[in-house]
Amino acid sequence: MKHKAVKIGLTSLVLTLTFGGLLYTTMAEGTEYYKHVDEVMVQPGEWYGKKLQLHGFVVPDSIMKRKNSLDYQFQVQSNGQIVNATYTGIVPDTFKSDSEVVLKGTLSEGGFHVQPNGVMAKCPSKYEAKPGGATPSGPY
Amino acid sequence: MASLGAFLLLLAFVIATYAVTASVVGARRRSTRLIESGIGAFYTVAALMTVASGVIIYAFVAGDYSIRYVQRYSDSVQPLFYKITSYWGGLDGSVMFWVFLLSLFGSVAVKINRESHRELIPYVVAVIGAVEMFFLFLMIIHNNPFATYLTESPVDGRGLNPLLQNFYMAIHPPTMYLGFVGMTIPFAFGMAALFSGHLDDSWLRAVRRWTMISWFFLSLGLILGMIWAYEELGWGGYWGWDPVENAGMLPWFTATAFLHSVMVQERRGMLRVWNVSLVIITFLLTIVGTFLTRSGVVQSVHAFGEDPELARYFVIFMISTTVFCFGWVIYRLPFLKARHELDSWASKEAAFLANNWVLLFSALFILFATLFPTLTEAINGERLTVGPPFFNRWMVPIGLILLVLTGTGPLLAWRKSTLSSMKDQFLWPIVCALVVGGALVAIGVRVWSSGICFALCAYVMGTLGQEIIRGANVRRGMTGTDVVTAMIGLVARNKRRYGGYIIHVGVVLMFLGFAGEGFSRDVQLLLKPGEEATVGKFTLHLDAIRVTDDGQKQMVTGHITVKDQSGAVIDQMRPAKWFFRKHEEEPTTEVAIRRSIAEDLYIVMPAFEIEEQTASVEVHINPLVNWIWFGFGILAIGTGIALLPETAVSFAVAKLPVEAVTASFLIGALLLSGGIARAQHVETGQDPRLQLTSPEAREVSHKLACWCGGCSKLPVGQCSCGHCAIERTNIDGMLKAGKTEAQILDFYVATYGGNQVLSEPPNSGSGRVVWLMPIVVGTGGFLTAAFLALRWSRRRPALAGVPGAIEDPDMAARLDEELRNLD
Repeated sequence: MKHKAVKIGLTSLVLTLTFGGLLYTTMAEGTEYYKHVDEVMVQPGEWYGKKLQLHGFVVPDSIMKRKNSLDYQFQVQSNGQIVNATYTGIVPDTFKSDSEVVLKGTLSEGGFHVQPNGVMAKCPSKYEAKPGGATPSGPY
Repeated sequence: MASLGAFLLLLAFVIATYAVTASVVGARRRSTRLIESGIGAFYTVAALMTVASGVIIYAFVAGDYSIRYVQRYSDSVQPLFYKITSYWGGLDGSVMFWVFLLSLFGSVAVKINRESHRELIPYVVAVIGAVEMFFLFLMIIHNNPFATYLTESPVDGRGLNPLLQNFYMAIHPPTMYLGFVGMTIPFAFGMAALFSGHLDDSWLRAVRRWTMISWFFLSLGLILGMIWAYEELGWGGYWGWDPVENAGMLPWFTATAFLHSVMVQERRGMLRVWNVSLVIITFLLTIVGTFLTRSGVVQSVHAFGEDPELARYFVIFMISTTVFCFGWVIYRLPFLKARHELDSWASKEAAFLANNWVLLFSALFILFATLFPTLTEAINGERLTVGPPFFNRWMVPIGLILLVLTGTGPLLAWRKSTLSSMKDQFLWPIVCALVVGGALVAIGVRVWSSGICFALCAYVMGTLGQEIIRGANVRRGMTGTDVVTAMIGLVARNKRRYGGYIIHVGVVLMFLGFAGEGFSRDVQLLLKPGEEATVGKFTLHLDAIRVTDDGQKQMVTGHITVKDQSGAVIDQMRPAKWFFRKHEEEPTTEVAIRRSIAEDLYIVMPAFEIEEQTASVEVHINPLVNWIWFGFGILAIGTGIALLPETAVSFAVAKLPVEAVTASFLIGALLLSGGIARAQHVETGQDPRLQLTSPEAREVSHKLACWCGGCSKLPVGQCSCGHCAIERTNIDGMLKAGKTEAQILDFYVATYGGNQVLSEPPNSGSGRVVWLMPIVVGTGGFLTAAFLALRWSRRRPALAGVPGAIEDPDMAARLDEELRNLD
């Protein structure tokens, strides 16, 4: 009985250590901070270069698209704080003025650089279509 | 209307409370009258919920916008189908739909098991009733779908988001709910066994089918969600590890674990605590899933929104249920002792145990990673998130381990596998894996995860093929039939086992599809009309960007010609952007997909400039992706076989004349192959010449068949000959002149002297005979088949020299014994 308990204990210990170690190492690379725009913009310098998921609302009529390209510039705000964002790629259909978005990318002095496929707009299971502005507000 | 609905919910709550109380008191006092009255009350809840559902659907259809829920999720112009599906569209209605389904499921489960599990039924009623009470309470206190506007009610609704007006999105939520709700039934039986102390295996027999049906619906719900994401969202993938997707996945893992471990308890009397814990965990995970989606506790791109009060109710319910249920498990531990111990790690039960650990670990890992942001915020106030790469890094190896176990489990014997039997069993599957692995290395495949996955798929297929062929050979020896008949007889005799193997074949095919993702490619292009670009083996030529309008929406369509490496045109593709009236600010991206067994060419046109005539085009090449959907089809067939009643098919097969099965199988295969070819999704961009100015004109033109003599009688609306182009303009003109559809059709019949110009027979007079013919022939065929089956079942086989079907019970028992020994 004692022998069995030792075996089970040792096996559990080895498994826990292995999984814990693996989890720790993969997590160190895989984690990103989830922040609202106002939390970050209080002291933006602290967040430069860190991987972020930035939550906010697209400032009405701020979406601009460079002609003949997939380059976007827009502003995102929450609680009065605003950040400029740049993105190259395809935006979801639900991305528009005033829409709630989560942007993945990094912050620098030039603004927030969204990584490829890093724009997530709230999906329609919320079923609440808000009246708002349309497609790009203008070229830039 | 609203007050009737609210009253029905309140009444349902009161009656559910009575059902719970009467059942528990009745069971404790052994009062049959009280138990019966509890069951009656339980059925009444189902009836009340059905009426309440009828009321809310009526409110949607009739457009009663004084009810807030109806006003928020529908409008007057919405098609009837989507008005009905709006019932489960929002949070409040989805909770109500949940209770409605649970009350129906519960009533059916109680009705079926009422006589066979008398000792459990009162507690089953009490447990399901208590869950119904919780959700009814939520509706009455917090999320009443019948709540009305306090001031003046709006004249029209807000309407449903166009993205959700999609077939898959309409049926994906109810299938998920069916799976989620269905898991309450095994939980109720498990808890009833704990309460009553009847902890033998009888509760397992009562719930096995329920778990399998619910598991199937859960799988179907997940697949439909994947197909919707793939075909509608336009990002080229089907799974993004979003918290809401993960929520649906959690109970799937533990339910899968339960379906396997239940066999260990049935065969060996082991894992009894484990099994009862698994049904409890599965139920709790369905509640966790509902909680995650509806409380706003995790940030998801497609959660219902934040609701701290609802979150609080859920947390209280989950904590109290967990403590209460596991308290009972601990209390009953002395009754749950295993009858046997694990004899060897080289045994089937050990493989099942390993599979259960991995599945449970998967569920817990996904739960942990999904809740990680919430956990880190609670611990140090800093919300840290993990993304798809993190999930993939863990779940890819876990998936591969599960694949190894899928192939290994069937090869091991119960109790202990000897070294010689293992050599015999493992040789061919390992050879299959090595051959495929070697071939992949030889042709230069260097994506390790996909390569290993392909080799493991070969290993599992080797195992399954070996099992089926060996089983069929034994049966052939016993019955003297040919190999295909023997194989089908084998499946029919042991539906659960071979149904399970077929499910595994489906899983392997799905894994092939997942592995294909390792080779996917995507490219973003900016094209002007006349320009072309090469992606992989395809060359894409942008012909034009056209703007059209069908009255309901404005469509901007990219006309792309696809050529192969030799420069030959192989397809015309039409990615588009649609702008619906009233929802111009929410355009939908219409994906163009060219499907093939090897790979999908997937094109989206997310942006365009009409003045500049440029289109931004994103091209994805997704290898093997269709195998996921095809594999699920096989999985569905396997589930169907495993669920068949024990006697039905074996009776039919045993009574059929020898070789008849093979013949019918071949005919079936021939018919099916035709069916598959027709059912293939064809992405047809419409020829601009075919475009009509109004939907009415299109409808009328489809009812006429081309009579020019040179075409194959295609509908005028589809035919591209010059004659039909003229006729389409004429039809449009007649419609504009105020003629009705019937008048136009009559005009053509009169002008061309008969019904031959119609593409379908008129539903009147002699035309009705044509409509009725398929029904008459079909019914007649069915009756003839049934009559012949009956005749055959009475007649004894009289063929000399060929052993008859197994009629002798001893013989059948011996065969079953030998098949079992094959394990």
